[in-house]
This record gives sequence, structure tokens and C-alpha cells, in this order.
Amino acid sequence: MKRTWPQSFLWLTLLIIVAIALIPILIDSASLREDLFLTLMLVILASSINIIMGYTGYVSFGHIVFFGLGGYFAFFLMLNYQVHFVLAALASGVGASVFAFLLGIPVLRLRGAYFALATIGINEAVRSFVTNFEPFGGAVGMFFNYAVYDAYGGARNALWFAYYAIVAVALVTVAASFLIKKSKFGLGLMAIREDQDTAQVLGIDPTRYKVLAYTCSAFFPALAGAIFFFKNGIIEPGPAFALLRSIEGLVMVMLGGYGTVTGPIVGAVVYERLRAFLITNPNFSSLHLFIAGLLLLVIVLFVTAGVVGWLRQRVPLLRRYLE
Amino acid sequence: MRKLVFLALVVALIASLGVACGPVAAPTPTVKRVLVGFTASQTGKLNKESKEQIQGLQLWLEDVKKAGGIKLKDGTMLMPEIKFYDDESLTDRVQALYTKLITEDKVDFLISPYSSGLTQTAAVVAEQYGKVMITTGAASDTTMEQGFKTIFQIYTPASRYLTGAVDLLQKLDPTAKKIAFVYEKERFSTDVTTFAQKYAKEKGFDIVLFEGYDTATTDFAPFINKIMPPKPDAIMGGGHFTDGTTFAKQLYEKKVPVKFVAILVAPPEPAFVEIGDAAQYVVGPSQWEPLARYSPESAKAAGLPWYGIGVADFTSAYKTKYGYEPSYHSAGGYAAGLIFQKGLEEADSVDAEKVKTALDRLDLLTFFGHIKFDTAAKTHGKQIGHEMVYVQWQKDAAGKLVKPVVWPLEGKSADAQLRKQ
Repeated sequence: MKRTWPQSFLWLTLLIIVAIALIPILIDSASLREDLFLTLMLVILASSINIIMGYTGYVSFGHIVFFGLGGYFAFFLMLNYQVHFVLAALASGVGASVFAFLLGIPVLRLRGAYFALATIGINEAVRSFVTNFEPFGGAVGMFFNYAVYDAYGGARNALWFAYYAIVAVALVTVAASFLIKKSKFGLGLMAIREDQDTAQVLGIDPTRYKVLAYTCSAFFPALAGAIFFFKNGIIEPGPAFALLRSIEGLVMVMLGGYGTVTGPIVGAVVYERLRAFLITNPNFSSLHLFIAGLLLLVIVLFVTAGVVGWLRQRVPLLRRYLE
Repeated sequence: MRKLVFLALVVALIASLGVACGPVAAPTPTVKRVLVGFTASQTGKLNKESKEQIQGLQLWLEDVKKAGGIKLKDGTMLMPEIKFYDDESLTDRVQALYTKLITEDKVDFLISPYSSGLTQTAAVVAEQYGKVMITTGAASDTTMEQGFKTIFQIYTPASRYLTGAVDLLQKLDPTAKKIAFVYEKERFSTDVTTFAQKYAKEKGFDIVLFEGYDTATTDFAPFINKIMPPKPDAIMGGGHFTDGTTFAKQLYEKKVPVKFVAILVAPPEPAFVEIGDAAQYVVGPSQWEPLARYSPESAKAAGLPWYGIGVADFTSAYKTKYGYEPSYHSAGGYAAGLIFQKGLEEADSVDAEKVKTALDRLDLLTFFGHIKFDTAAKTHGKQIGHEMVYVQWQKDAAGKLVKPVVWPLEGKSADAQLRKQ
């Protein structure tokens, strides 16, 4: 069967991610591994937000709630029932998706700013619930005994293991983002984004489509949360449901180009690398937030379609090749 | 000819003796760099406390450099340097930055970030690389109950943070029976108040309210409304600087009729005075105070060796350098460096294993107080020597707000006062 360009594009993108992800393994660099871990985690977050925001047109300000819930579900299972990390992470993904499904049915009836506000409210409500929910450790949160990592060959191996896991989840997230975009389901989502009423006239069931998109977009951040907090060894309500991280995710999508597959990847990489550079640079270390904010303002003001969107607009040829 | 050879030999002998006995240049001591790494919260909500901590550490560094370094027995001088990055008060990047410090910057030793949450995250990395890490600004008990082998805690743990305030209240007013706890819902404050509540119950107090507030709360009216009806004798709690200060201010503005208020973290900070009369009578637990009475004499009395700078010298040097009085966060930063210094001297090496063994054996008194680490496997590195002191903001004869140490009795510089409205 002859492979079409979009399929080749997907394989090429995945290949690039794999090639970059292999570098710290080949040169045995723990520091690079840590940098890439954070970058790939943000790629997962941004790509997931893009499914509901970029494809469907629903701005989810509180999307971090799934990241936090995923972390909590997995931590709880590992701590109390000694469930293996992989199984716990998968269970957390399913749990977060079920939560998104049940939540999506009423919430996705809202549109525009009302939906955006509702997602913030949900995140805050869940954070508040978890802060008072003793089985999840309440305000103190939960923490691993260091010996937990012995089951994974010690802490050093566990950190590598977490890295492999985040690479795998990033690959699956990007693939899912691509497949959704190229499917009939994705076309339906984009029709809803452009005009929900017209889409309905065309036979699309907006509620079903939107709820399904929301459910999908909850699965991957939950896996990322499970991996991140497993690696940290501690989970607390504040860091788990940090609204700032959610907003950063939106910025990454806007920066790279919403509604595209590569946009969130580019946005996450640029944003994260910029921040990492500024933080560790002695000349800019105290100015990093100012500089990052200024750059983002310039991009949002003058490159509204994001980097990938701008490239597609400027170079028509790229529209065929850059998804 | 034989005479000539003999003469030449005599001349050579005299010449060689001359070289041997002449003025000899003193051997230049070998100077070895020791890099200490950490992350600091230069931005974000922990910025204030973290900044004080770094300033304390930087002062220690200056003192060591002025002294020419840390001298080992073979004459080698260890010259410490510090390397740090901003962690933005978030756990996100802590592990990445500590890994960078260890694997790229090749630091020899580590100091913890500020706060228990960030420290727990950093400890996972430090431990796996076998790097000795002194934790300062991190008082969580649970972090130190995980069987870490290379992590050493300077602060008195959270479980003993507020228990002295309960004792002080009982001593000050034996008729006091009811305590309301209102605390910030996060790891440190919840740990502290949970332990204090348990202790207060054991001491016969009734806990009329035990309620947490969200981080970044600015309006305490709902909590004050809950505090009033059961008419408590005392209020204890708070969390960090900003919320603690706001809470104290609103308790004063609402004229809450309690005899005793003890708040975490904020009162020992010199900036607490900025809330004016609302600061008066507020008691605060402190890891260290400028009026703390630790000295070579008190060390002798306690049967402990004394080490390092005196309390007055530290306070004066800090004031000269930064223009204001040091807080316990500043002293914690200096103390972290000082304990490293002692560890290196005792180990007579920069070998992590030897330094760890030396730290395990430490039992001494410094300007920061008594330092001794637990060596039991499960609680290794937990601080078991250091004790809290309690300050209370009072007005001196001139009507100026000051914060003398009021507890423990043996270390007090003024008597505690019950609150008056």
C-alpha cells in the first residue's frame, strides 16, 4: 500500500522525537535526560490541550486538573496497594478520562468564556477537595519512602524508567493528536470549532464529539502527571493543580500554532528551552520571567497564528507538508 | 692534587650545608576548590525566605574566604564556592537543576532548596548520587523519615515547632484551657499544627477549632467569625510570611479577645514590625534569634564543644553587609555552611562518605544552637539536638516594638506578656 505524505509526516515527527530522546541514553547524560523529560512532559500537556482547544475551539484553562488527578490516582495506587508504576499510570489515565467524560457532559454545553471559566472552577474545586480528602493525604499530600524505588532497580534506574515512560507517552500523544486531526472525528471537531450550529445541521452530534474529545484530551496529561509525581516522590495539592502550568500550556499552544499537530510541540520546546536558558544563565537569571513574558507578548501580538501557523501562511508549499 | 680534591670536597660540603641551613621558602599550601550547589527561590512565593537563606550562606562563604579557606591536616586549604539556580519556588525544575548541578557543574556537596516540598524532591536526586546534602529551611519530619543516608537536617523538625508555645501558654496563664488552631493548608503548617494539637490535648487543653485555610488567603474574616463563638484563650497557626502577617493584622483589627496568639514563620521576621501595633503580643517560634544565648560558656555548661562564629558577631556582620537584622532563615543559611565546614574539617577530606561519617558524629553547639543528627536507619539525618526559641513582639520603655526571646525560660531575654486589647 502506498504511504501518503501525512502518514509519512507522522512517522517523520515520531522519528525525530525518538532520535532526540535517544541522545541522553547514548551519551549517558542525566542532566540532558532531565531537560528532555520536562520538555516532553510539556509537549504532552500542550498537545492534549490542543485536542480540545485547537481542534474543537474550547479553551480549557483548567486542563491541569487531569495532570493532578492522574498524579494522585497513580500515587494512591502505588502507595497503598503497591501497584506497579506502569499499571498505576494506565489506571490513572483511565480514571481521569472517566472523570472528564462525566464532567464533560454538563460542562461542554457551555460555550466560549463560560466554558473557560468553568474549567478554572473545576480545577479549583478538585484542588480544594483533594486538600481536604484524607485518603489522598489532605493538605500534606503523599510521599514515597525512598525504598519504593528499589522495586525499579533503585532511584537512579527509576528516574531513567520515568524518562522512557514519558518518551513513550509523548509519542503516543503526538500520534493520537495526528490521528484525531486526520480522522472523520477530527473533521467533525473542526467543524464544531468553526460553527457548531452548522456542524449540527450537517449531522454532527456536537455533545458526543466534544465529550469524546475532552475525554481523549484528559488521558495523556493524567499519564504525564503519574510519571512526574512518581519521579518526584511527593505529591501535594498545590503543585499538582497549579493553574499557572495550565496557562503555560495554553501559551505553548498559541506560541506554536493551535489546531496543528506540530504547533504544540514547537511551542512546548521553544517555551521550555527559553525558560531553561534564562533560568540557568547568570546574566538573565533574575530577569527570566520578564524576558519570557515580553517575548510571548510580541509573539501573541504579531504572530497570532503561532510559529507553525505563520510558516504555513508565509510559505504556501508548507501547507501540504506541515501538519 | 689530593689537597685540592679535599679542599673542593670541603667547599662542596659547606656549600650544601649552606643551602640546607639557609632561609627556606615556606611551602605554598595546596588550595582545592570545593563547589557547593543548590537551588534558590529567587522568584515565586518563597522568594523572601529563600533570599534570606542565601544571604546567610554568602556571608559564611565570605568569612571562610577571609580566613583563607578550610584547613585540612595536611595543610591543604579547601576553598568553597557556591553555584545556584532559580527554582521559581516550584517543584517542576528542582530535580532537573539538582541533576545539572551534580552531573554538569560537578558540585561536591549540596544544600537544599527552601521549603520541605522542594527539599523532598531534591533529596531523591542527591541521595541517588550519594551527594551529602544539608537541608536548611526545611523542617518536615516526614522528609527525614524515609531512610535517606546522605541528607542532614539543620532545622528543628515540624513536630517540635509549636509545642513550646503550648508550654509557654500553660506557664503564662494556668487557667487557659481552650486553643483554636487556624493554619495554612499545606505540608509544613499542617504538620506543625497537627503535632501541636496532639501535644496540647496531652497537656489538657481543649481544641475548640482546628481549621485550615488555602494558601494565598487574604481575607481571614470567615475564620475569625468561627474563632469567636467558642471563646478560645489562645490562637495558634498561620503558615508562611504573607498569610501569617495578614492573619495577625486582621485579628488585631477585628479585636479578637484572646490572651495569646502564636503564629508560624512571620513573627520572627524583622519585617513583621511593619504591621505596627497589630504585631504587639504576637508570639512566634523561631529556629534562631539574635538574642539567643548560645556561647562558648553555654556550650561548656552543656558539656558540648563550641564551634564557629558567636551570635553577636554573626548578627553584627550580617547587619553591616545587608543593612538589617538577620532572621532565622539567614542564620539557617550561615549554619548550613558552618556545619559543612565542620564536617569537612572532621573528615579531613572532601570524600562524601568520610564527610557523611563526620556529620553523623557531630554533637556540638554553634551560634545557631545545638546540632546533632539522628543516626537510626529510618530517621537518619533528622535533627535531634536543635531546639526552637520563641519571640514575642513587645513595646520597650520608649514605646518601640522589639522582639525579645520569651521562651524557653533558660534562654529568655524578657518575660512573656498576655495579650491585651
